[in-house]
Amino acid sequence: MPPSIHPVDLIAALRQRHLTPAIVFLTSRRACDEAMEAFDHADLVLPPVRQEAIGTALERVIAQYPSITEHPLIPIVQRIGVAAHHAGHLPSWKIAIEELMRQGHLDAVFATTTLAAGVDFPARTVVITQSSIRKSRDFTDLTIGEVQQVAGRAGRRGKDHVGFAVITPSPYIDLAVLTKGLTGQPEAIDSQFTISYPMVLNLLKAHPHEQIQGILAKSFAQFQLNQRAELLEHKLDALHVQMEPFGPRVCTDWITQWQTFDHARRHRHTRHQTHRSESPEISARLPFLSPGRVVGLSRGRGIVLRQYRSKGQKTSMLTILRPDGAVTECPVTSVKEVYDRTCDFVETPTYPWCSTDTFDRLSHQLEELPSRLPVLPILTSTSHEPLPDAIVQSMGDFPCPTCPSRPACQKDFITASRLRQEQQRHAKSIQALRASLWHRFQERVNVLQKFGYLTLATQLTIEGEWARLIRIDHSLLITELIRAEAFTGGDLSLLAGILASLAHDDDRPGAFPRISAGLSSLLGQVRKLAESLSPYEDPPLLRADVAALVERWVADPTLTWIGLCRLTTMAEGDIYRLLARTLEFLSQVQALKSMHPSLAESASRAITLIRRGVLEELP
Amino acid sequence: MTTEELEQLLAQQPVALLHRLARGRVHRQFRAGKRRLIELLLQHSGHNRAGLESDLQTLIGERHAPSESGSPHIHRPPAIAHKKASPHRAEPESTETAVSLSAWLEGIGVPAPQPFIPDPWQTEALSAVSETDVVISVPTGSGKTYVAVEAARRAMEDNRTVIYTSPLKALSNTKYTEFSKTFGPDKVGILTGDRQENGQAPLLIMTTEILRNLLYDAASGEIDIRLDTLGLVILDESQYIADPERGVVWEETIIFCPSQAKLLLLSASIGNPQDIADWLTSIRSTACRLVRHSKRTVPLRAGYLHPNGKLTPLFRTVGIPYGHPNQLHPEAKRLFLEYEDETLPSGRQRR
Repeated sequence: MPPSIHPVDLIAALRQRHLTPAIVFLTSRRACDEAMEAFDHADLVLPPVRQEAIGTALERVIAQYPSITEHPLIPIVQRIGVAAHHAGHLPSWKIAIEELMRQGHLDAVFATTTLAAGVDFPARTVVITQSSIRKSRDFTDLTIGEVQQVAGRAGRRGKDHVGFAVITPSPYIDLAVLTKGLTGQPEAIDSQFTISYPMVLNLLKAHPHEQIQGILAKSFAQFQLNQRAELLEHKLDALHVQMEPFGPRVCTDWITQWQTFDHARRHRHTRHQTHRSESPEISARLPFLSPGRVVGLSRGRGIVLRQYRSKGQKTSMLTILRPDGAVTECPVTSVKEVYDRTCDFVETPTYPWCSTDTFDRLSHQLEELPSRLPVLPILTSTSHEPLPDAIVQSMGDFPCPTCPSRPACQKDFITASRLRQEQQRHAKSIQALRASLWHRFQERVNVLQKFGYLTLATQLTIEGEWARLIRIDHSLLITELIRAEAFTGGDLSLLAGILASLAHDDDRPGAFPRISAGLSSLLGQVRKLAESLSPYEDPPLLRADVAALVERWVADPTLTWIGLCRLTTMAEGDIYRLLARTLEFLSQVQALKSMHPSLAESASRAITLIRRGVLEELP
Repeated sequence: MTTEELEQLLAQQPVALLHRLARGRVHRQFRAGKRRLIELLLQHSGHNRAGLESDLQTLIGERHAPSESGSPHIHRPPAIAHKKASPHRAEPESTETAVSLSAWLEGIGVPAPQPFIPDPWQTEALSAVSETDVVISVPTGSGKTYVAVEAARRAMEDNRTVIYTSPLKALSNTKYTEFSKTFGPDKVGILTGDRQENGQAPLLIMTTEILRNLLYDAASGEIDIRLDTLGLVILDESQYIADPERGVVWEETIIFCPSQAKLLLLSASIGNPQDIADWLTSIRSTACRLVRHSKRTVPLRAGYLHPNGKLTPLFRTVGIPYGHPNQLHPEAKRLFLEYEDETLPSGRQRR
């Protein structure tokens, strides 16, 4: 069985059930084009009456838009009554197809789901073939809103009793996504508020700095942040109630008090705690093996310089001064005897753990020791006992051990401290939610001050006055380019080419054989500048092929549309959109008449040069 | 078991099971289709027929036993197959007979021309928009344009300027043509990034970006776009406020919209239109009115078309069972399962 229904069979099935006219949403432009090819030799021809009607309607549209006179799809449209409609086509073609569809001449239009929102014509039936769409390189599942947007095209008011959404599977389709989409409630929408450089400049042009916070607070973004903050505030209120039994006790801030006490106690505890692997004999010795203690080893005696735990095994270790002045490290287990004799010295934190004088003195004392020394009797306790209260009570300045509310504090501490931590976290989040937009605004202000568009008093500088008129993507890069006088040569085609590469944000591959030396060196400069600005603004794609394409269109007024399309692998519709976007960018540059008259003049001449052929014919 | 019997038995099994069976027996089994897989399995069984048969029986047993029994499989059966095996209790309708294709197709065709009577929500929206801001959230194709046209007409009769914005230039152009037909070409103008026609007309169509720029210029006192006579701003497709790149433009436009001009936000069905309305109420001088409904003017039915050309209803009911995504028509379910078995390699799992 084929992985999905053949377009010819699809149309036949729809016609048989009177489900036409239909819009068939396919995954990609290519799928639409391939579907058209499938109709090349199909014997689904319309009756002559309808063919004629389509012919007449087409003639009327072509009269308005001559650019589609020779469109390769016209024979199929006329013979079979189906058409493709996607972003790869010229707008005039799409308008023509929409017009034919509205007049009821066509049986089916094959379109891409990506453009479901831009398709402004209904049909009796919508055919859905996939459950995911490509969003910037990745395929993501359709949202409920998107499924309903697509399915919503079915059923024309006044022309249909009912509309039909027909699902036909293709590989990788997930039926659950579609059934959920058809039967579910659309998702809630979230604000996507961003603060751009031109926004900051324009706001500061019209309003004093201190009013801006109030203006930002009016955004839907802040409204939604406030909603979240309010939720947190409710939680905070609930926490306050829960915290009531844990109010002030003997000390006002008993939680902190207990926390520090508890921490100190635990810390102390770990320091005294003996390692599990150590025998009771060894652990009983440990308190006596303090620095200065004289001990007997298997070979001779020594003085303990320090006691520590080995890093990996955590066994108790000693640093010992030997009679010949050597310093050795040995485990506590190797100590044979602990003598009832200590030497006084002050421990230092670094090798040899005492001052050099002391070291000499200790070595000397070690030599001088009598041959027999009394051995310290060490009692071994059989089990590890918890620390006696005496030790705990001896700890620092804590009133807790003797405090009457000690049992209560001990019992409540875990709950109370968890609640208090939650409180603090919520309070912090609320603050962040309330102030985040303002912080983002301030960040932008700082960058604009750094680049000299704003004064330190947040007034617009002369540069800022014109820069605020560039209200497009990559505005910082464009204004910096203008300030760096990158376009002063007055070369219209270079200006248009560079702006095209800034304007085009589509990563569909394209190719262009030759790029002029002037353009490629200028593009190199732009790329360098874009990279240096990348901490402040995402760099554009800066595709050389689109720059070269637009440069050629501007530089060579004799170049026809067909000729231009042959120069690249880009689809007609993409070239059109590229030029239209370039026009938009140029018109922003054109607005800089007062500060950059020659540049604005170049821009307006470039606009005139670009607007010819197909671009002139279309609105 | 003879070879023919085994072959038949294998052919009855879903391809996923065959893939599991072929694991370790057939080289690169995941690349083979069902028929080829059976062939390869039979070839292989020359050496160890008994092992293959017993494995097959275990797998079949596992498949039929409900998966809750805790049989340790690596592959869980496809989600829908699972549902089929254990009838869901949550759905009372599942005992009812599913709708037939002919019943589903009934009523297809063109209604007799009727005099146009506005829906109650349209009347409600129109009467509200003369006094306050209005947010409309209704399904696609419900007739939002009618409200826009009527609201614009009433505002223009009051000598007020109207601005209509859409997110796409193509949509703006379509509306320009449409409105020019409705109101007469001298009443309608258009301003887009690269097109300016009839800029002094009382009804101006533009992209939302252009309106945002105009509002900024007006705020800094540079141009006069007759903001004092501006009576109505219609923002079509205002669910675009959630667009990652351009959504901010809608917010800016709404924030800076002069207070004497009423806002009319037209949106497709969204989940939280009340939030939008509450937001407008919180920043504008009058309380915003929300008009919403989820019922489509032309009812919608969903169908399933199998690649072999067989058409069935998608759901058990004639219309779409809102809120019950699992009420699939048994025939559609069966056909889709078949489709998945044929197309999904065994290693790939449905999510």
